[in-house]
Amino acid sequence: MVSGSRLERLLRQGEFVVCGEMSPPQGADKAPILKKCEYFRGYVDAVNLTDNQTAIVRMSSIMSSVFAIEGGCEPIMQMTCRDRNRLAQQSDLLGAYAAGIRNVLCLTGDYQTFGNQGDAKGVFDLDSVQLIHTVADMNSGRLLSGDELKPPPAFFIGGAANPFAEPLEMRIIRLEKKVAAGAHFIQTQPVFDWPKFEKWMSAVRDAGLDQRVFIIVGVMPVRSVKALLYMRDEVPGMSISEECIKRMESAQDPKEEGVKMCVETMQRLRETPGVRGIHIMPVMWESITPRLVEEAGLLPRPEPLPVEEETTAEPAETS
Amino acid sequence: MSKLTEAIAEFTERHPTLYRCVLFGENVFKKAIFGCQDCGQCVLSYNAFVCCMRCPKQMRNGPCGGTRPNGRCEVYPNRPCIWWLIYKRAKWMGRVAKLKKYHVPVDRRLEHTSAWMNMFAGRILPLDLSKELREIELPKKDPPPKW
Ligand code: SF4
Ligand code: SF4
Repeated sequence: MVSGSRLERLLRQGEFVVCGEMSPPQGADKAPILKKCEYFRGYVDAVNLTDNQTAIVRMSSIMSSVFAIEGGCEPIMQMTCRDRNRLAQQSDLLGAYAAGIRNVLCLTGDYQTFGNQGDAKGVFDLDSVQLIHTVADMNSGRLLSGDELKPPPAFFIGGAANPFAEPLEMRIIRLEKKVAAGAHFIQTQPVFDWPKFEKWMSAVRDAGLDQRVFIIVGVMPVRSVKALLYMRDEVPGMSISEECIKRMESAQDPKEEGVKMCVETMQRLRETPGVRGIHIMPVMWESITPRLVEEAGLLPRPEPLPVEEETTAEPAETS
Repeated sequence: MSKLTEAIAEFTERHPTLYRCVLFGENVFKKAIFGCQDCGQCVLSYNAFVCCMRCPKQMRNGPCGGTRPNGRCEVYPNRPCIWWLIYKRAKWMGRVAKLKKYHVPVDRRLEHTSAWMNMFAGRILPLDLSKELREIELPKKDPPPKW
């Protein structure tokens, strides 16, 4: 046990976990977060709070995570390398831990020209592998510079993987680096292309990585075929199979079909060896989460067992 | 690396004009051939002689998640993804194993200094073409002077 977060405890108990995701509001009010928490509380085990996703200015992921705790959800704070250098990242991590945030997902971040601040300077001081390594170092009581850190935080560290990007061998090498750098869990892009996902998953199993890291696979409910086409053509690194597009196109009620498709993917993932959980990304459609989780047969969500005395007394481990 | 190379580096760094000449020579060569971005801590030998600092996000440990299906960069669709090139080249040269190395964060103090002299002075990993990857403990050294 590293952090003792709910997510970590459930994963280590062997439960199949469910994560949600919400984007912080584009305004100076926390009410939208508290409202969205209602769709997640009791239905998912932890919620990702995105860090200026697609390079659009939103409320900071740290403060949003704090508000998510207030709303009764366990946050997974996302942290990108686009907006901060190593100094700011480390100081933000210390503050986040002190505020009760236990899970952190380390990302490189979307390039600044994609968002509404295209003229900004991208920082990219560290890359995501180096950021994972930095957090692992901080867990073991050292800053990146080697200076001692007292008391150290104890984060449950996550990384991202894209099963659909080529070349596969390079992706596995990179995933291996993330695990070696100290990632405890991995979250992936949403699955809309099952054959490609299977191929990636079996490569992950062949490399033995499913035994060294908890793999949490993304799913996304879509409301129309237009959303799928947009993702295929505009979002780099996404892969949408023809089958999915045909299915959405011919559906009488695309909204219903989108939910059905998502639930089917969730059930299929549950049967896939090596997959330890799912990550629902309901972009702007958070209210659908309870229904998805229920229809996939993942309710009620399990409660983590209490942590034994000795495991909490252990110093934070890093790999 | 060795006493001799360290002495050379030290001598060069004590003589601004000489240092500038070395830096100029290195730049002329590496900028023209590899599109060098002057990071001062060269990893070309690990990356099949394709400079990874040309990536818009300056990824040193592998590609970001946005590479397009045709191997183009997510940021500039008309350019190839640098890591796509690195992988293809490494495959062709039989150097895929070298891509597994973890690269530590860039020491920004070394930017715009001579990577060759930094290597000679033992500040960065040597460009070792014949030996397999291994972790080398580097002594902590002061960054080179900037004039
Ligand atoms: S010194 Fe740095 S920027 Fe220049 S070629 Fe080598 S890796 Fe690329
Ligand atoms: S697609 Fe390749 S070159 Fe472009 S930002 Fe990502 S890693 Fe860098």
